[in-house]
Amino acid sequence: MISQELKKVILNELNLDDYDIQDETMAPEVPGWDSLNHVNIILAVEKFFSVRFKSYEVLRLKNVGDLQKLLDSKLGK
Amino acid sequence: MIQNIHLEKITELLKYKSGDPLLFNTSLFLILFFLFLVIYNLFKNNKRARIISLIVFSFYFYYKSTEYFAAILIVSAVINFFFGKWIASTDSFPIKRIFLALALILNLTLLGYFKYTNFLLQAISDLRGTEFNPIAIFLPIGISFYTFKALTYIFDIYYDTLKPTKNFLDFVLYLSFFPNVLMGPIDRAADFLPQINKELFISKDDLGRATFLICSGLLKTVILSSYLEDNFIGRIFEFPLRYTGVENLLAIYAYAIRLYCDFSGYTDLAIGISLFLGFKIMDNFNSPFKATSIADFWRRWHISFSKWLLDYLFKPVQISLRRWKIFGNIIGLIVTFFICGLWHGAGWNFILWGLYFGVLMSIALFLQKPKERLYKALKIHNTKFLRFFQIIITFHFIAFSFLLFRLNDLQIAKDMLSQIFEFFHGEVFLQFMEKMPLIFGLIVIGFISHFFPVKIENAIKRAVTALPLAGKIILLAFIIWLITQFKSADIQPFIYFQF
Repeated sequence: MISQELKKVILNELNLDDYDIQDETMAPEVPGWDSLNHVNIILAVEKFFSVRFKSYEVLRLKNVGDLQKLLDSKLGK
Repeated sequence: MIQNIHLEKITELLKYKSGDPLLFNTSLFLILFFLFLVIYNLFKNNKRARIISLIVFSFYFYYKSTEYFAAILIVSAVINFFFGKWIASTDSFPIKRIFLALALILNLTLLGYFKYTNFLLQAISDLRGTEFNPIAIFLPIGISFYTFKALTYIFDIYYDTLKPTKNFLDFVLYLSFFPNVLMGPIDRAADFLPQINKELFISKDDLGRATFLICSGLLKTVILSSYLEDNFIGRIFEFPLRYTGVENLLAIYAYAIRLYCDFSGYTDLAIGISLFLGFKIMDNFNSPFKATSIADFWRRWHISFSKWLLDYLFKPVQISLRRWKIFGNIIGLIVTFFICGLWHGAGWNFILWGLYFGVLMSIALFLQKPKERLYKALKIHNTKFLRFFQIIITFHFIAFSFLLFRLNDLQIAKDMLSQIFEFFHGEVFLQFMEKMPLIFGLIVIGFISHFFPVKIENAIKRAVTALPLAGKIILLAFIIWLITQFKSADIQPFIYFQF
């Protein structure tokens, strides 16, 4: 389950009004989510939720579900 | 007596000869490969036997180019197989990282020792002002390629996108696979390993594609590369001051085509041969001179290598430096292209060549938004008109960069540029067309066929696929006959071999 807040941060960064983002959604599927924007999204997530990811943690993410799990682990959920 | 002489001659042919690797476009290779294919197909239903026969042939192929240094391939296989296993066997990230670091150090030390020792020592003694006598270190051809192949295995396991294989022989086959062991493409373990245990099945499309690629590869490497080099390019590059600027410029254009045909031709042969063996290898080229920007060029040239750099070097650096925003991207670009240049050769000209692209890409990053605004204001954004100019300009940036790639004596590059800008004499062009029609014709054919729309290329592929088996064989025989007409006495080795 992708939280509404995470979804909002991603859509905001990509300038999208709406997109169906699920656990299995991968970056290349979402319009505009290229390697340059990927960095911006990670930064935006870190800023919004006040967390810090380690680089290798980010590089292991395969889909948005992984990102949600990683975020949850940093928020102590 | 006669039998003894024949046996001796054959053994001589089959033994390792220094500087004479087994090239795909030689009759010796074609005969050996054909014989091997027969054996390979006999083992159609026995996977183990097929794989072992492929490993044996691959090692023979590699031995023919590097003699006993073929053992290095085994060393690399052992190191990477076990480190892959160890990285995956622990859940602790700090320990995974230690194993990754060790694996990287071992691989790069192996590669560095053979390839960069003299370069490093020369640089140090230059700094000190002392004299330096190069140490005789043999460079096992292909080490740059299979080291990077092994690293895809290690990295993918570390990033958890690949499970290590339990079968050591499978990994050995991946590393030693003869179609791409010497010159790539640098395919990923994640893509190759699953194919090893599939049933041997070559579809009609695969057969058609393989035939097309082998024909295209033979034509490109022999006619559009070697012949052009021996009979035109080499002469101008040796004594540029003897020729007018227009001839120097043509030599630069011809060299760009030559480099592309040499490398992509070899890749075509590698992919075609792999298809005959039942393996699909990734593409390495996508009409690179159709690129509309440097970034686009690197998505079309040596694709397996640029993808490697993107996934395993640029992205990690970019993510690590994400808080530095655009400057993080720029450092990522400079580091990546520095490595790109350095990988191509142990020489300052190669490093400069790489940095040239790093700098151009960084500038392009800054100019990206302003350019887009300008094009939209001029109403030429996304038009064919703009695209045409982008292609011409990008091509010239690329073609002139190849001077750095080819020459370690920069004086020659300076001479060529001075001839072009100070001694052009455009009228000589007509004489050139008249006196060297074949050379001129080949350059034109090289460019026109490069810029063929994809539709035409696909139509040709379909036509070749539709040929019956006998037709395909006749086509191959005809192409082989054609290239023997063009072959010079000395076969020019593929340029990318020294890597």
